[in-house]
Amino acid sequence: MDKLTVTAASRVTAADLATARLGSRFGRMDLFSQLALLAVESLGINFDSLARDRVAICLAAATSSLATDVEFWKGRDAAGGLSPTLFTYTLPSAAIGELAIRHRLTGPNLCLVGGDALLLAEAADLIRRGEADACVCVSGDVVSAALAELIRVPATAGASALFLQRGGEGPHVLRENDRDIASWCAVISGAKNLG
Amino acid sequence: MCDPAANLPVVAVAGCGAVTAVGEGVGALRAAMRANASGLRACERFRHPRFQSSVVGAAPATTSGVESDDPAFELAHAALHEAAGEAREVLSATLPTRLGLVLSTTKANIEALERLADGRPCSDAARRHLQPDLLAADLAALHGARGPVQCVSVACTSGLVALQQGAKLIQRGAADAVLVVGVDHLSAFVVGGFSSLKALDPVGCRPFDRDRCGLSPGEAGAAMVLARAELAPRGAVTLRGWGTSNDANHMTGPSRDGSGLAQAIRAALGAAGLRPEEIDYVNAHGTGTPYNDAMESAALRGVFGEACPPFSGAKGMLGHTLGAAGIVETILCVLAMRERLLPGTPRLGASADGVPASLVREPRAAERLDHVLKLSTGFGGCNGALILGHG
Repeated sequence: MDKLTVTAASRVTAADLATARLGSRFGRMDLFSQLALLAVESLGINFDSLARDRVAICLAAATSSLATDVEFWKGRDAAGGLSPTLFTYTLPSAAIGELAIRHRLTGPNLCLVGGDALLLAEAADLIRRGEADACVCVSGDVVSAALAELIRVPATAGASALFLQRGGEGPHVLRENDRDIASWCAVISGAKNLG
Repeated sequence: MCDPAANLPVVAVAGCGAVTAVGEGVGALRAAMRANASGLRACERFRHPRFQSSVVGAAPATTSGVESDDPAFELAHAALHEAAGEAREVLSATLPTRLGLVLSTTKANIEALERLADGRPCSDAARRHLQPDLLAADLAALHGARGPVQCVSVACTSGLVALQQGAKLIQRGAADAVLVVGVDHLSAFVVGGFSSLKALDPVGCRPFDRDRCGLSPGEAGAAMVLARAELAPRGAVTLRGWGTSNDANHMTGPSRDGSGLAQAIRAALGAAGLRPEEIDYVNAHGTGTPYNDAMESAALRGVFGEACPPFSGAKGMLGHTLGAAGIVETILCVLAMRERLLPGTPRLGASADGVPASLVREPRAAERLDHVLKLSTGFGGCNGALILGHG
């Protein structure tokens, strides 16, 4: 079986957005996409050294796009009506599109809803099957106060990212049952790049 | 690309079920395919200044016996019930712990958000199914799937990605059979959203037509039972290969040159170990928006050159059923292969300039349908391609 290596991992929260400088487009995105972009930016990956059609993006969206859905639907009685810009982000996979555009990644895509327990296994499977050579993995959740009330879960906002590569450098080889992205982020304890 | 020499288990289609704008059951879908009929109608519920069009593909009330204020659950359950009926023998030979479920949806039960925001009654179950993964879990529990459960949402490519995920679960030995179900229901949320983008055709969608100017939302529940081929009936349609890609170009518009979709098609061909000339029919995504259909035409020319196989689109029949689209349109492909019939393109008037001449207007008998290619594209630049085969 191919050796797969975690070459970078990161974790961001809404507090980190205040200092993010990712261009004017960034300000128009929903919070989930912003967190996903910032988490991947924090990985410090140089995508120029990779074949961009061989880099997959796998995303786990814990509560789908529901926080954005609630925001969008609030506009139904507004003078200008529903926002076409926000409608674009009422898909849990919207962050994949933003990540692909920013880093010009044209490889395979997968978005799973409801936690990230399967994310690493699916990303590893994509690489092992030869569909990609590397994968940007992002796990995020945004539960606004309004959504928290609606689905009766605590409010939260954060995203974790991890870069998985066939082969790769460093000691962090993905094991068969590695499932927990949060643990990877904890393992590196602040070191943004493991490569 | 998948490695065709990897000696992975073959995955077959053991059962299909669907509730769509043309009626409840795969029989209604087959009849509509043969008649080139359209289920698109003006719907009183969406006749409002807020909406750009009231023409939609509305599904009938289901007769599955489940009563709820949860249209997503009802549609999905009805489709699963029918598919499981056709696959009865396969499922009776499959341990519950070896039966998986993959749900494809973009909005799950978004009606609950509308109800709660308006102060209308909303049951706890309907509220719970705002969360797509909980809808998947409840469908799995109801249908006895105690194996792996996934919820996939990759915009309008979700259905093809869900079929791919179901096949992968079987190929890597995590399940012997997988229920793959796609669902999205009509809602003011979705119709209003597409209206805000000015993406609806006021008179109903006309894929690949010269005068096309937008899509028509539709709703559907669609389900397929995938199984290891040795468990499925002899000669069953099989999933030969798939590919996904991203345009990396625009959030709501497709790339102009079709290169992203062409990349996905080439990946699927490579995975299936097929050459372009071995594809006998293509079922296009065909939303009816000017840019999508032009992009798809470009992608087909990019892969097939001037020898584009016969192709057609089903959204003039069913509307755009979002998370269900990839699955219900793949079911149409399965029916076409079983009956050796090339489906037509309902609501097509005059073909647009630049559309390959092999566009199928009316259904007709096919000399052979050994390999069929199904395409999907979606917001966020997502592209998907799936190839079906025989045996």
